[in-house]
Amino acid sequence: MRSPGSLKQEFLKKWIMGFQRCSSSKKSMSVLDRKKAIKLSADIAMASARKGTTCWSRALIASASKDGSDKHLVEQILGPESERLILMKKFSTGALVCSKRIRSKKILKRSCGIRRTRKCAPQAALASSIAKRLVRKRTQVLKSLIPGGEFMNEVSLIEETLDYIISLRAQVDVMRSLAIASELVNHN
Amino acid sequence: MLRGLHSLETCTYNGMDMTVLERQQARLKWQQQQNYGVQNNNPIELCASSVPQIQGFLGSSFGSGQLVEMKKPEVYLGSDDFPKFVNLSVAGPEFSASKMDLVPPEAAADYCISRTSSCQMTAFQTAVMNEEREDVILKKMESTTGRESFNKRKVEAVQDDKCKDKRIKGEVEGESEVKTKCSTEVSRNSSKGNSKASEVQKPDYIHVRARRGQATDSHSLAERARREKISKKMKCLQDLVPGCNKITGKAGMLDEIINYVQSLQRQVEFLSMKLAAVNPSVEFNVDNLPAKEFPAYVANFPAAAKSPAMANLACLQFNPLQKAVSCMLDATGHPPQTATEGVASASISIPEQALSSSCITQLQPFSTWNTDPQGLYNVYNMGFH
Repeated sequence: MRSPGSLKQEFLKKWIMGFQRCSSSKKSMSVLDRKKAIKLSADIAMASARKGTTCWSRALIASASKDGSDKHLVEQILGPESERLILMKKFSTGALVCSKRIRSKKILKRSCGIRRTRKCAPQAALASSIAKRLVRKRTQVLKSLIPGGEFMNEVSLIEETLDYIISLRAQVDVMRSLAIASELVNHN
Repeated sequence: MLRGLHSLETCTYNGMDMTVLERQQARLKWQQQQNYGVQNNNPIELCASSVPQIQGFLGSSFGSGQLVEMKKPEVYLGSDDFPKFVNLSVAGPEFSASKMDLVPPEAAADYCISRTSSCQMTAFQTAVMNEEREDVILKKMESTTGRESFNKRKVEAVQDDKCKDKRIKGEVEGESEVKTKCSTEVSRNSSKGNSKASEVQKPDYIHVRARRGQATDSHSLAERARREKISKKMKCLQDLVPGCNKITGKAGMLDEIINYVQSLQRQVEFLSMKLAAVNPSVEFNVDNLPAKEFPAYVANFPAAAKSPAMANLACLQFNPLQKAVSCMLDATGHPPQTATEGVASASISIPEQALSSSCITQLQPFSTWNTDPQGLYNVYNMGFH
């Protein structure tokens, strides 16, 4: 397991780098713009700290680089063009395959579901079907939360969630200490 | 034995609408005729016990609950396995004539039960398997609670009725859910028992899931392996997400995970907004960084981590500011001099120099400021929940 300390350092380093590059391009920004720049550079730094090993990081970078305005920033942060292309390719192919799989699964489920609902009678079966429905709803919500989550099956979704939570935590810690630091500096 | 079988045949064959008690009595008579121990009778009865009613009896006692509700599978036993009974009655003597002296009576009953499940297995294998199953069943009867044993019986009963799944399909749907909850318990128990039996039991469990058209064991095994993987990962998540220790079950866990991820994302948004608001300009923010950030991290992270960070930063020499940063990391022992040097070399304005000098004084008490994040963390958490 990677140590959280190294992750934080990695993240901080990349964040600073991205931040500087972002600031060099624009001189005066409103608060919201600044916030967006901060958040974007933080997200990309966090994603690149994973170096493309996880699906959510790839999805995050891909979605960020889809936007025209942020593209250059992403490029700058990630470095060589080839890396980005590789990541994009991985993400796009994975998405295509997974979306096809998901579509076929949905069709199958719909055809089987009709048969299923006719048969359930006893209370316990009803309760279990309710439980199943709840779990399904929640996995859908989770998929919407995690970047690139719509294309994953259950097992990988849980893995990605784990990784995402760890990275989010590290990000929050770094940002919080930075905020405190700048606050202290400002007060003095 | 033949007589006994015939009597049972007649009972079930003639009386599809026999009452439960009558059927029970008939079976008991038959089994007694076998000169068979009570212990071995029970598994057979339990094997035949029906699936849906068990859910109602999950918490109830073993014997009474089982014996009353045995209508449906008996029908099956009567209709489906009747030919098998007949076959077995013929094969019985041959069977006993073969090497397995100890098993014939149980093998007779179990054979017909297991015959529906796996026709590919040879008679010997089935006998051995059933014997093992029974051993484990017996063990379980003694050791475990009623619920788990119910599941075991359920599995075997369902195995019998593999051919005729339509009637109790709905019930099995529900039952399989119950099973998933108990599956972890049972898998633990099975690992306690002998490994051979546990391997044999796996197909028994998986047959339940496999009933909807996945007839082969490999699929079912894969599904079971997948389910175990998921539960393992959920356990990891339980450790990671605070406050999840008491929650069992997928839905509650997923709920907590969703809440936690949402709260973390909200925190990131909030902090980025705060950072944007606190610093009038982006550059200023960056300039502030070396003074405050790195000492904190240097204090927090182990010393070994410093060198790779330093080496990495050494190659990021875009700015004089970066040099300041690397200088800061180098000279944690001498913060005052290098800080002033580095900051001065970056040619910042006077207020920033003043700030840097104040920062230097602040460099010493790392411990106080490390506690601040904790207090603020609590505040944030309270705010977000």
